[in-house]
Amino acid sequence: MNPCYYACYIVYKVIVYDIIFYPPVYQFLIIPGLITAIIVAIFILWFERKAAAYVQMRYGPWEIAPRIGGAIQLLADLTRYAMQEIITPQTVDTLQYLLAPIVMVVLALLPLEAVPLTSVKPYFPIPSGYSLLVAVAFATLSPLFITMMGWASNNKFSITGSVRESFMITSYELISVLGLLTAAAMTRSYDLVKIVNLQMSGKWLGLINPIALFVVFIAVLMSTSGFPFEIPESESELVAGPFTEYSGLLYGLNMGGAYIRRWVFSILITLVFLGGWAPYRPTPGVITGYFIPSLIVSLKAVVIMGIMSFLRSVYGRYRLDQALGIAWEILIPLALLAFGIGLAEAYFGII
Amino acid sequence: MPAKVSLKKNPKRNPLGKVFAGNIGALAVGLKYFFDPNRITLLYPHEYIKLNKGYRGFIVLIKEKCISCSSCARICPAAAMRMLSIKVYNEKLKKYMIKKYPVINYNRCIFCGLCVDVCPTEALYHVPYHDIVYENMNDMILSLEDFQKEPENIEFKEGIPVKYYFDESRGLVKTPYMEELEKQGEKEEKNQKVEGEGEKGAG
Repeated sequence: MNPCYYACYIVYKVIVYDIIFYPPVYQFLIIPGLITAIIVAIFILWFERKAAAYVQMRYGPWEIAPRIGGAIQLLADLTRYAMQEIITPQTVDTLQYLLAPIVMVVLALLPLEAVPLTSVKPYFPIPSGYSLLVAVAFATLSPLFITMMGWASNNKFSITGSVRESFMITSYELISVLGLLTAAAMTRSYDLVKIVNLQMSGKWLGLINPIALFVVFIAVLMSTSGFPFEIPESESELVAGPFTEYSGLLYGLNMGGAYIRRWVFSILITLVFLGGWAPYRPTPGVITGYFIPSLIVSLKAVVIMGIMSFLRSVYGRYRLDQALGIAWEILIPLALLAFGIGLAEAYFGII
Repeated sequence: MPAKVSLKKNPKRNPLGKVFAGNIGALAVGLKYFFDPNRITLLYPHEYIKLNKGYRGFIVLIKEKCISCSSCARICPAAAMRMLSIKVYNEKLKKYMIKKYPVINYNRCIFCGLCVDVCPTEALYHVPYHDIVYENMNDMILSLEDFQKEPENIEFKEGIPVKYYFDESRGLVKTPYMEELEKQGEKEEKNQKVEGEGEKGAG
């Protein structure tokens, strides 16, 4: 055999199987990870503006490319953010100010390292025994850095925004954790692979226990400042909430960070409540065992993101006290109710 | 006896019913407009509103008709009109005379049209369009020569003239003005033909 051909084959194999499809790299950077998250954020931002425009009798982004409905508008915006100067004001805590957005985005992507996207064993990023618990635990890390951003910015708008954010954290975290762990109560395991495999027969947990899905949906909207709860960065009162002092690419990171967190939560919701890769049964092999199921999960998550961003066009913003009231007075009892229903269903053997 | 003050209590509603009815109603309206959009936007550079003949657009002077009465400058509420003194050769008297002509400053003009109304010899008239870009503030103070020219219609270069009306169910209903323009064009062609034949007949 030609040695050059052989070397090329080895390099190809190393690049494809040991680098691209190495589960931690693949899941953190490629399909549900950074690259896909950025593409999805761009698409969803465009969709959000377009849907709001349709509902409010406007055209939305249009002029930049009339034939495709201005779909590349967000690329233009991104270029503008990338070209802007990153200004650090004199009064800020420089290290925290610069580090917080970067750490926030990295930590926002971290739960993707814990979720398995296939039922074939070599392609688990971590041993999947407690993957649901680990993913939920990772998902609660990044909002702390939004609070830190506001504190480091040393600006009254930022501090008000970050205090609001911390109020929201305390209210939504319990709801989302309770709602997501309802699945563990229903299936008697923290293993996401087992949870998804139980849903293979068409009994999606979201259909069996819709209250839990509803509660988690609203908790995710709250945590990522989706529109009825866009309270921390309320544009008309606080300039941009905790992100007031940021400019250029760091501001882009901040704005993208919320969408990336929403994306990660959507993938968790897809796996737990909407059957993951459900109609498809993974078979051994990189493409059929890893690529296609991750694509199916991503598509389902995009649909959830679309529904979440459609709400922007319909709802106004709640006040802080209204949102906290909804969280503590309505949603936590609902979450407990969903937990009880899940336990009852598990006891009577419905799942 | 003064009337008794009494607080009116709102009729109690079922809170759950209120929440569901409000939210589902809002979502239904949103979905209806999302799938069947109903726009009220005029895509401005690509289509523009065809304005009527009496529209108070930019003002143009016909120098020959002007009798230097300065009524326009006196009536102008924003003090945008000013009279310029210019030496003019009078052919009847065969000597140079000083005559006054109005010039306009579009920094100040509010397009009220009083100057056009007050002009005794109809030396001023409106143009039925109003979209002009000036590069700086000095260009907006017109000279006597510029004041006599009709400013060029920039809309006319790029867009389609459009007539519109509002409809509750369909939003902004736009009909292109082109059909009427074509009719006008036909009329003009006919007139030209008639004139041409007349010339031929005369020749």
